[in-house]
Amino acid sequence: MTRSRIVGLALLGALLVVALALPYLGTTSYVISLVSTILIAAILASSVNFLVGDGGMASLGHGAIAAAAAYGAGWASKMGMDPGMQVVIAMGVTLVVSLVYGLLSMRTSGIYFLMVTLAVGMVVFGLAYRLSAVTGGENGITGIQRPAFIGEYWTYYYFLVAAFVLTTLLLWTVSRSPFGSSLRGIRDSETRMRSLGYSVAGYKLGAFMISGTVAGFAGLLSVWHTHFVSPSSAGVHRSVLLIVMVILGGVGTVLGPLVGAAVVVLVENVLSNEIERWPTILGLIFILVILFARAGIVGSIAKLAAKLTRRSTSRSPGGGSPPGTPVSDRNHTAS
Amino acid sequence: MFEPVFLAQQALNGLSFGALLFLLASGLTLVFGLMRIINLAHGAFYMLGGYVGVVIAGLTGNLLLAVVTGAIVVAGTAFIVEFVLLRFVRGQELPEVLVTVGVSFVIADLCLAIFGGDPRTLPASASIPGSLVIGDLVYPWYRIFVIAVAIAIGIALAVVQNRTRIGAIVRAGVDDREIISAMGVNIRWVFTGMFIVGAALAAIGGTIGSGVISIRPGIQDEVLLYALVVVIIGGLGSVSGAAVGSVLIGLIDAFAKAWIPDFAYFTIFAPMALVLVLRPTGLFGRTA
Repeated sequence: MTRSRIVGLALLGALLVVALALPYLGTTSYVISLVSTILIAAILASSVNFLVGDGGMASLGHGAIAAAAAYGAGWASKMGMDPGMQVVIAMGVTLVVSLVYGLLSMRTSGIYFLMVTLAVGMVVFGLAYRLSAVTGGENGITGIQRPAFIGEYWTYYYFLVAAFVLTTLLLWTVSRSPFGSSLRGIRDSETRMRSLGYSVAGYKLGAFMISGTVAGFAGLLSVWHTHFVSPSSAGVHRSVLLIVMVILGGVGTVLGPLVGAAVVVLVENVLSNEIERWPTILGLIFILVILFARAGIVGSIAKLAAKLTRRSTSRSPGGGSPPGTPVSDRNHTAS
Repeated sequence: MFEPVFLAQQALNGLSFGALLFLLASGLTLVFGLMRIINLAHGAFYMLGGYVGVVIAGLTGNLLLAVVTGAIVVAGTAFIVEFVLLRFVRGQELPEVLVTVGVSFVIADLCLAIFGGDPRTLPASASIPGSLVIGDLVYPWYRIFVIAVAIAIGIALAVVQNRTRIGAIVRAGVDDREIISAMGVNIRWVFTGMFIVGAALAAIGGTIGSGVISIRPGIQDEVLLYALVVVIIGGLGSVSGAAVGSVLIGLIDAFAKAWIPDFAYFTIFAPMALVLVLRPTGLFGRTA
């Protein structure tokens, strides 16, 4: 284990301790609720991050997958079902929607993938908006209750911390597995993997199902947090924000989604009280990051840290990758 | 529901909406064909063009002036976007697209700041009054004018593309960038020019379209979706594909909205899914 890896793990541990201690640090329920929102957004963003980082597939439809799951839970709640059935229906809807996305997009890559996911996402939005018998139309569905054992805001907060850690671990494991390696192979050269006998479409479908399931889970968590779902949650705007989070944090990094989600949620919820034109600010931050800090916040810090450690120790050049670097190169282009 | 007058009316609705889609999609597809960029700020260009057009039309009552001003403002914006931002990330597929996403954010939000959140439509003074009356069929002249504009622009694009030196340069750029650069054409300025033309087409669509669909916050995403569906069906980079796709989607959308309004989005999505499964490069797309 290299030194940078130890530093990275120590950082992760410290972060987890802070997260666990947060409710005891005299924070208000507003702060806890805000951090909960960040955690949910981070789970959703990490599902996108997995697909972009390992698969090279930038999806502009993940917001709609999460919304579909949220609508599943909302509809179950409206029908008077208990939270257990909410979970079943939400995850069932997630699987079906992810399968539709996956089947339509598995033969595409790059720009086409982006557009297909965008278009399917808009269809989900359209259905949420128009199919008012099921979705409640423009008003959405309100009054969705989460299970009793996580009813309190702070118990739910701990539940979310656990959910974030688990999904991050899950995605990390998948990414390190042979499946993840093959996926990166497909990202880097689809033709080469095809000639080696890999079913490229199959791998892409598989990756999408994994990512979609995580996204749907995040959607369920979000509806349990806000007790409310409306068509705007399925809009392309949300999916775009997810990509913004992933790029801001750093594509393919483990903590990137969390950092990106924190920035976006804080701009959206806190800065918006101060500055009316926050979408402009967000758009400008986004453009600047793409132009000047392609590795994102976490990626850039990791790069900087790697440079510093190399200078101070000057032994074993390139000794281990710094914490949170992408699994291979930081190739953003979905070739 | 199936009376001839109703059918004719819906068909005309579909054609006029399709005409609008063509103005949008042709710019999108031309830019993609040459530069391999999907410009996700295209909807925002439509929006900006529409707002500027509506304001100028309200001030002067002159539709032509409104269209020209809208197109010029948007062309200027597009020039800045291309020259200042896109050139930094040229050739990198994903960053290029994402920059246009950021641009779309900024333009849409600034439009909200400048023009407010109320829906805006083309003032009656700048519109074309009256209706075409054939027996029981009454149809506004303005919508027929929209169809005529789209046909005229479509023909103009085809002529420029196939009969002029500029068109030849563009076609050569689509086929082989390196050779055309080696022959002494500065391909970067061809890119810039095409990006501006594409944006101006969106702006023309926005101003003319404001007489049919009101310009409001959120319209940029809505029209972008339609334009994307059209170019996916027609095939990215193909203007004739955009024309066929626009008419197809326009008609499907009009009849679907009349017959099965609950599934309005679904019905434009179904043909797209079909095309993607059977012919992933679109009806007129070339295989890569």
